[in-house]
Amino acid sequence: MSSTVSPDQVLQTRGTSRALDAFVVAASFDRAGTACAFALGDGGVVIKRRAGEDFVRSNVHEGAILALGTDPVSGGWITGGDDGRFNRVRPDGTDALIATHGMRWVENVASFTDGKTHLLACGVGKKAIIYNAKDEVVKTFEHPSTVTGVVFDPKGKRIAASHYNGASVWFVASRSDAPRKLEWKGSHIGLTMSPDGDCVVTAMQENSLHGWRLSDNQHMRMSGYPAKTRALSFTRNGKWLATSGADSIVLWPFFGGGPMGKPPTELAGGDGTTCNLVAAHPRDELIAAGFADGLVIIADIGSARILPVAAPGRGPISALCWSPDGSHLAFGTETGFAAVVDLSKR
Amino acid sequence: MAEAANPADQVPVTVLTGYLGAGKTTLLNRILSENHGQKYAVVINEFGELGVDNDLVVDTDEEVFEMNNGCICCTVRGDLIRIVGGLMKRRDKFDGIIIETTGLANPAPVAQTFFVDDTVKEKTRLDAIVTVVDAKHLPQRLLDSHEAADQLAFADVIVLNKIDLVTPDELAAVEVQIRKINKFAKIHYSTKSNVPIAELLNQGAFDLNRVLVHTPDFLTSDEHEHNDDIASMSFEAKKPIDPERFNAWMGALLAEQGGNLLRTKGILSYEGDDRRFAFQAVHMIADGDFIGPWKEGEERTSRIVFIGRNLNRPQLRRGFESCQAI
Repeated sequence: MSSTVSPDQVLQTRGTSRALDAFVVAASFDRAGTACAFALGDGGVVIKRRAGEDFVRSNVHEGAILALGTDPVSGGWITGGDDGRFNRVRPDGTDALIATHGMRWVENVASFTDGKTHLLACGVGKKAIIYNAKDEVVKTFEHPSTVTGVVFDPKGKRIAASHYNGASVWFVASRSDAPRKLEWKGSHIGLTMSPDGDCVVTAMQENSLHGWRLSDNQHMRMSGYPAKTRALSFTRNGKWLATSGADSIVLWPFFGGGPMGKPPTELAGGDGTTCNLVAAHPRDELIAAGFADGLVIIADIGSARILPVAAPGRGPISALCWSPDGSHLAFGTETGFAAVVDLSKR
Repeated sequence: MAEAANPADQVPVTVLTGYLGAGKTTLLNRILSENHGQKYAVVINEFGELGVDNDLVVDTDEEVFEMNNGCICCTVRGDLIRIVGGLMKRRDKFDGIIIETTGLANPAPVAQTFFVDDTVKEKTRLDAIVTVVDAKHLPQRLLDSHEAADQLAFADVIVLNKIDLVTPDELAAVEVQIRKINKFAKIHYSTKSNVPIAELLNQGAFDLNRVLVHTPDFLTSDEHEHNDDIASMSFEAKKPIDPERFNAWMGALLAEQGGNLLRTKGILSYEGDDRRFAFQAVHMIADGDFIGPWKEGEERTSRIVFIGRNLNRPQLRRGFESCQAI
């Protein structure tokens, strides 16, 4: 019988894909959702527009691109590379230097806009540097050790950076340059902030997560992962934190007193392959997940139903993102496969 | 979980240690400028100075941190975990990675990084720890620092440099000193770090096979060494090893004496298995895996090597011998 749906059917019928011949480090739609950029390990950025089949390449960095984000200033993207450059890629694919940091790698980027104020940030060595819409340095925040992640709060008032022994939360406009220190011993390798700006959650070297609730200094420990968590993604309403690092999507409840003392919900587990990346849908309680064998799925939190998007076999998933309206999902792999899938109603 | 890494896909990593002035930078510059057909990504520390312009040179601050795994001596290099991850994004651009440590660095955190971090373990393999020493100044270094002895103890390969600055007698004396600490490393003699690069890199020197095959003598006296000097010892067992007994013994030994055991390596013949089991540890962090089968007709002798402080020879020997299957 061949009545079962192929796990590749969504990609085959609704996807546009390309072999890009380089490690896909990250993928991101622009803020308007008109195009998706894939940042590559060979320094290239490849842009796939919503209309059309073309994947258009620009050479942006000399070495590998290490970070990709959206650029509120040009409407395109920002990139950080191991050539020490913090760059802008405009929607038309042309690029411009925002700043150069010599031999230091630009390992993290972030941005914020409320329509009026635009802020850009990059993490370079022990510094988190904030730029305004004119690419001028607004603030340089120094940390005791190398910054492993930077994230703006939802209002753009604060920026949080992870590093050894915790995270630091800084007021962007503050005159006094002292951060709120969130301390927890160990190596913190990335972070996120909840949509209400009240919780900071880091991933740790020891295959666990640590969180701080800023309003009452509550600590949260979330452990039990067999591998490192590379992706932390809150659902839009902040109810769930989706995480990678297990052989399933691990969802921590941030409601009803959780996550303290509550077990996580696991989705799409069971086949023994590590979930590399997760991305919460920008509107609905859906989680996209990419696995080490190349499988991409979408899981519905409420019903626990799984929609396969792409079958295993195209390399470990290394990039995964939604368009801002949630109608398109993009993903890429370590071996250079890249695809955009149109999930809108037809 | 993750599939067993294919050694052929793993990037060989060479760790280059040695005191300031021993000739590390000269050696690095030679590796980067000579035409040997291989391309290396080089991780240098903040004090490093390279005369060669190379887009694969990464400048880093050595960031050592303790793992939260209840093991006090388990320290790793966080910066290396990040850098290896970053370099893997352009894996096709180089053949190997060379990590230079600062002159005073303890090699343990670098070595332990390759045991502890899953991604690093999966994508790379520690090819060798190469220690460059200065024939003229080594005796003094050994007197005034712990690290000089540690760097020798950790070495798979020792570059005994600046031999033109010493007399043959001095050289012989230095060699005796080195061998007291580390009996097993391969020694290259050089002036101006002029070692054939091809004999230094991608040698699989960390590979126990070679280490133990090259091990000269296993017939050593039973004297009880009890002092702070580093020594190396090896033992062998003719009868097959019982894995459970070995694990129990080794687990207890590392937990109790891991702080003093700088390196432990072994090739074991497990009872009922035709494959050789390779075991190694840096302090308390241990790792083991089956490597190829024993050769046809080869004598299946299990061997183990300890390099460390306060080694109790009779105790270690009895412990290892008691792991033999009855």
